[in-house]
This record gives sequence, structure tokens and C-alpha cells, in this order.
Amino acid sequence: MPSSGSSEDAACNLKSFWQGNTMENSGFDPTIGALNTALNLRLANQNVISGNIANADTPGYKTKKMEFEGALRDALGVGTELTPREGDPRHIVHRSTDAVEPEIYDDPNGVESLDGNTVNRAEEMARLTENQLLYDAAAEMLKKKLGMLKYSISEGGGNR
Amino acid sequence: MDFFSSMRVSATGLDAQTTRMNTISSNIANSETTRTEEGGPYRRKDPLLAAETDRESFGEILQNELDENVQGVRVQEIVQDQRAPRMVYNPSHPDANEEGYVAMPNVNTVEEMANMISAQRSYEANITALNAAKAMAQKALEIGR
Repeated sequence: MPSSGSSEDAACNLKSFWQGNTMENSGFDPTIGALNTALNLRLANQNVISGNIANADTPGYKTKKMEFEGALRDALGVGTELTPREGDPRHIVHRSTDAVEPEIYDDPNGVESLDGNTVNRAEEMARLTENQLLYDAAAEMLKKKLGMLKYSISEGGGNR
Repeated sequence: MDFFSSMRVSATGLDAQTTRMNTISSNIANSETTRTEEGGPYRRKDPLLAAETDRESFGEILQNELDENVQGVRVQEIVQDQRAPRMVYNPSHPDANEEGYVAMPNVNTVEEMANMISAQRSYEANITALNAAKAMAQKALEIGR
């Protein structure tokens, strides 16, 4: 759709797409930013799984997998050495989600059928369902979080 | 990278499986055909599937490698099975040769049935994937409601 935009615009859009931390920086509940990133990653995973299912009969196609947990961990800055410390309750820790680029790789454990295809339909369907449920869970959580925000904005008067 | 790219990919899968189903129907319908336009008995046809990167527009080519890995499927061409025709002894048939054998199509009905079930299952799998993407999109619309 961004046909008229320059490549710089596209890169910028992409960056903000993966960032998903606009609310996080403004002092809101950091979970909201995390959930945002999780939703984006789940969507990317969904697209990869759809591709696998569509190519279940393509000769030579290799199952593609996305490193989900690792990407989310990077996004939230958990387990990396250079995370800032919260020494004071008033510190706002910036957890960078700039560099979230989930890794997609050909599944090395796939069993090749006669035509060189490694897609296991049952496994892909299971992953599809799992991914959908976890997406729904994250969306539900985000809904609840925003509901709470709304509740406090309306001084307890609004509907949650 | 949006919900529609998942749906587009599933749609290419549906399209490919439909083409596959059509060729299977053609094979079964012509399992006894001894005369064709190109001469000789009917030859079994098979769609050749190929993976293709999902792209909505030219602008998407500029985007990252993540999109490179979301691949739809496309019927590249329909190839003819080069197996030899089945020779059936039937001297009264108008297409019989001097020894009384008729060249029948190289279609194995049982094989076609197995392929048909496979195509049907793949079609259903693509439908499920499409519905999953749809349900996710609807769930996303509920956020903040």
C-alpha cells in the first residue's frame, strides 16, 4: 500500500512496526508495550505458518520456523547484559525494542518426503492453533490492561 | 506484513489445490480415453507446484527478509506423466494395433483417488489457516473496546 512513499519511509514504518513501545516510554505500564510486541511477533509467526501450510505439497519446500521466544526476549531486553538497572523507583527503564527482527530459518529437524518437502501438516496445524490461542491470550490481556487504564482515566466511573 | 499477507498466502494455497483437483478430475474422467487432439491415448496430467514469495506491491520488495520467508504457492505448469500407456488386449476396439492391443491412458484410478484425498486435506488445511487469521484479526479489533 505505501506505493508512493520512499524507501526511507518504509524503513521508518517498519521500525515503528517492530518497536511497539510508544506507550512504554510515556510511563505507562510496560506490559502494554510487551504485549504489543508479542502480538506483532505472533502475527509474523502466523504468516510463516500459513506459508508452510500453503506449500505442504510443493516439491523441495522446507518448513520455515520463527524463533519466537528469542525474538520476544530480545524485544523486552530480558537476559541481555546491557540492561539498565532500576536503582530507584522513580527510574524509568527503557527497554529497547528497536532491533526486533525475528529470525526465520528452515527447520533442520524436518523429515524429507520423496519430493524433498519437509512440511508435516499435523505439526503445522498444531502450531497454527497454538499460535492463534496465544495471540488471543495476548489480545485479551491487552484489552484488560487498557480497560484498567480506561477505568482510572474515568476515575472509576467508566465501564471496564 | 499484516493479516492480509497471511490470508493471501492461504488463498494461493486454495487456488493451487483447486487446480490440482481439476487435473485429478480430468485424469479420472479420461481414464478410458484412447483418442486425444495430440494423438494417442490420454496422458495423466500433474500440476507442478512452486513456492513464491508473497508480495502485495513492488514497494514490498524494499522491505525486510522476513517477508521473503512468507511464501505462497503457485502452479508453475501442468506436466504430462511420461509413463508408458497401459496395453490392453481388445482386438475389436477400433484403436487396436495389429496384434490386437489397445493403448489405454496411463491413469491409475486408485492413485488419483489417493491424490484427491490429499488435495482435499490440503484445501481444508488452508481454509483452517485462513479462518485462524480471520479470527485473530477480529480479536485484534476487540482490543480497547
